Amino acid sequence: MIRYEVIVIGAGPAGLSAAIEAAAHGLQVLVFDENAKPGGQLFKQIHKFFGSKEHQARERGFRIGEKLLAEALGLGVKVILGAQVIGIFAHRQVTVMQGDHMEYYVGNSIIIATGATENVISFSGWTLPGVIGAGAAQTMMNIHGLRPGKKVLMVGSGNVGVVVGYQLIQAGCQIAAVIDGAPHIGGYGVHAAKIARMGVPFYLSHTILQAHGTKSVSGATIVEVDSFWQPVPGSEKNLDVDVICLAVGLSPLAELPRLAGCRMQDNPLKGGLVPVCNQYNETTVKDIYMAGDAAGIEEASSAMIQGRITGNAIAHQHGYIENTEFDQCHTKYQGALNQLRAGMFKRDSRKETGLRYTQEGYTLSKTLLTKGFLSTSELSVFPGIPTEVRRRQGVTPIIECTQNIPCNPCQDVCPKGCIKIGDKITNLPVMSASSCLGCGLCVASCPGQAIFLVDETYEDQFAAVTIPYELVPLPGEGSKGVACDRAGIPLGEAEVIHIRTTAYNDGTALLTMKVPIEWAMEARFFKPDHIGEGG
Amino acid sequence: MYRIENHPILHQFDKGQRVSFLLDGKEMEGFAGEPIAIALRNSGVLVHRYTAKRAEPRGIFCAIGRCNDCVMIVDGTPNVRTCVTPLQAGMNVETQYGIQSRGAAENND
Ligand SMILES: Cc1cc2nc3c(=O)[nH]c(=O)nc-3n(C[C@H](O)[C@H](O)[C@H](O)COP(=O)(O)OP(=O)(O)OC[C@H]3O[C@@H](n4cnc5c(N)ncnc54)[C@H](O)[C@@H]3O)c2cc1C
Ligand code: SF4
Ligand code: SF4
Ligand code: FES
Repeated sequence: MIRYEVIVIGAGPAGLSAAIEAAAHGLQVLVFDENAKPGGQLFKQIHKFFGSKEHQARERGFRIGEKLLAEALGLGVKVILGAQVIGIFAHRQVTVMQGDHMEYYVGNSIIIATGATENVISFSGWTLPGVIGAGAAQTMMNIHGLRPGKKVLMVGSGNVGVVVGYQLIQAGCQIAAVIDGAPHIGGYGVHAAKIARMGVPFYLSHTILQAHGTKSVSGATIVEVDSFWQPVPGSEKNLDVDVICLAVGLSPLAELPRLAGCRMQDNPLKGGLVPVCNQYNETTVKDIYMAGDAAGIEEASSAMIQGRITGNAIAHQHGYIENTEFDQCHTKYQGALNQLRAGMFKRDSRKETGLRYTQEGYTLSKTLLTKGFLSTSELSVFPGIPTEVRRRQGVTPIIECTQNIPCNPCQDVCPKGCIKIGDKITNLPVMSASSCLGCGLCVASCPGQAIFLVDETYEDQFAAVTIPYELVPLPGEGSKGVACDRAGIPLGEAEVIHIRTTAYNDGTALLTMKVPIEWAMEARFFKPDHIGEGG
Repeated sequence: MYRIENHPILHQFDKGQRVSFLLDGKEMEGFAGEPIAIALRNSGVLVHRYTAKRAEPRGIFCAIGRCNDCVMIVDGTPNVRTCVTPLQAGMNVETQYGIQSRGAAENND
C-alpha cells in the first residue's frame, strides 16, 4: 500500500489547483484522473474566460489548463492518468482501477474533485444516434477535430448551450435553433448575442417533442410550452437537423463521498446531492475534502479558487503553514470567490426581479433575454455607449455589455483607462472615450465579444465598423460580403477594409468593414459572400 | 467528411498515421490513436449497436466513456466503449446486437 500526504481525485481545474496549493506549501501530492488527458473540462473550453485577472480572465480555457498542469508538475505533483478511483474506504484507503488491475493507496488527506455529469431529458426518439450531450459535442470537435454533424438543434440556453453553439459554428456546423423551456435565456446575454448576430434563432418557452429518424436523427419537432410546461397545441415546428445537442444542466458527481460515508444533502442551489462541507471544504468525515463542481455546480474560475481554499486548509491542518498566513490566504481566496458569485447570475438570486434591472438601475432588455439581442434604442441608455456627438469625432468604442456579470478584462487592457468598472467586477463597464487610441485591445480581449469600434468619419456617407471575428476562412482585405445586424438580419453589402491579427489577441481577429453610415450602429457581423443564408 | 481541416482557434489537429480497419467486414479508414467512434463518425457511421430487447439503434452519446451507448465488438471482445478506445491498424470492429455480433445473434434464432 502506497501512502501519500495528499491524494487528489480528479485532475480538472479544482483538483489541479488544490494539488498546486498543497504542493507549494511542501506537501507530497498524488493526483488520479480516469481520463487519458488531464485538465478535466478545461481542455474542451476554447473560448476566452470571464472574470478578472486573478481568475485568468480573457485566457482561453485550454490554455489555463496547460498552465495549471505545468505548474503542478513543476512543484513535484505526481499525476496518474487512466486511473479511475472506485472507492474510498476506512482510514482513507483509496482503491484505484489502473488499466485492468486494482491498486491500493492511502492518503493522510483526500480531496475529491471529480466534477460533474451532464443531465439528460427524455423525449420521443431521445435514444437515437445523433442525440448527444453538449460535452460530447465539445469533445468531438475541440479534442478530436470532428464535426458532430451538419445542422444542430441546441436544447438549453444556459452558458453551456450558447457557448457550445458558438463553438459548433466555429467548427463549421449550422445551428438551426437554440430552445429552452424557460421564458428567459439562461446564459449571459453577451454569449447569446454572439450567435444571435450570426442568425441563430432562439425559441424560449419551447421544448423538444420528438427526434425523428429510424437509424439516426433526421429532424426534430419542437413545441411551445405554457407556464405549466404543457405543450401549446398547434405551435409545433419541424426542424431539419441531424444532431440534437442536450445542454440541460450538470449534476455534481458525488458518488465517492457518499460511499465514503460523508453526510449528504440535496441542495438545488448546488445542482443536486452533495456532501455537507464546512467553510474549508472538509466533509463530515475527517480529512476528506471536496473541491469544484463535485461539491456544487459553478464554473472553472470558482473551481480553481475552491481548490486553493481546500489545499490551503490541508496545508494548515498538517502544520505546513502558520495560522496568520493560513488566515490571510483563506480570506484572499474567499474574497475572489465572492466576486465571482456576485451579479445577476449569482446562484441564489436568479429570480425574476434580478432579470428586470441592473444593479445600477438600468432596465434590462427583454429581447436580449428572449432573442439574444438588443435594439439600438434600448442600448443607447447604457454607460458603455458614447454619445452621438462623440461618435462624430472619430473612432469610438461601443460597449454592448448590459448585464451584471463578473468580468472586467476590458477595464484591464485599456492603455488609456477609458473603460471603468471599478472594484466590484459585476458593475457595468462605463466608457469615456475622450482619450481613446482606437487600438482595439478592448475589442479583442472582451470574452463576451461585446465591444465594437465605430468610425462615422471614415468617408463621406460611409462608416468603418470593427468587430471581433473568430471564424475561418478569415476574409481578406478588399473582400465583399454582407453586413448583418444584431439579430443576424442582412443589411446589405459591406467591404472588408482592414484585418488585424496579433499573438496577444490569441485567435480573435479584428475585422473592419466599410458600411453605409446609417448602419454604423446596426452592423455587428460580417458574412462573407461564400457562406449560405441562415445560421 | 466531418473532419475540421482548419479551426479558427485550434488550427490543425495532431493526428496519427492513416490506417485501415474493418467494420462488419468492410474496409474503413481512420487515424491511429483516435477513438474508434471518431473514425466511424467521420465515415458517416452512427449506429454502433442495437439493444437486446427492442433492437433499437444506439450511437455516441457522452463521448467520454460514461454512458456505454457506443459499445461494439472489437477484435472479438464485446462491450468495448469505442469513444475512448484508440483505433489501431487492422482492428476488426463489429456492430453489436444485444451483447453479440450479428452472425451470433442470427444463429440463436
Ligand atoms: C460548455 C462549457 C462552457 C464552460 N465555460 C466556462 C467559462 O467560460 N468559465 C468558467 O469559469 N467555467 C466554464 N465552464 C465550467 C467549467 O468547465 C467547470 O465548472 C469546471 O471544469 C469544473 O472543474 P472541476 O475540476 O470541478 O471538474 P472537471 O473539470 O469536470 O474535472 C473533474 C475530473 O475528474 C475526473 N474524475 C471524475 N471521476 C473520477 C474518478 N472516479 N476517478 C478518477 N478521476 C475522476 C474526470 O475525468 C475529470 O477530469 C464551462 C463548462 C462547459 C461544459
Ligand atoms: S480602443 Fe484601445 S484605447 Fe480605446 S477604449 Fe479600447 S483599449 Fe482603450
Ligand atoms: S465588455 Fe468588459 S465586462 Fe463586458 S463582457 Fe466584455 S470584457 Fe467583460
Ligand atoms: S459515448 Fe458514452 S461511453 Fe462512449
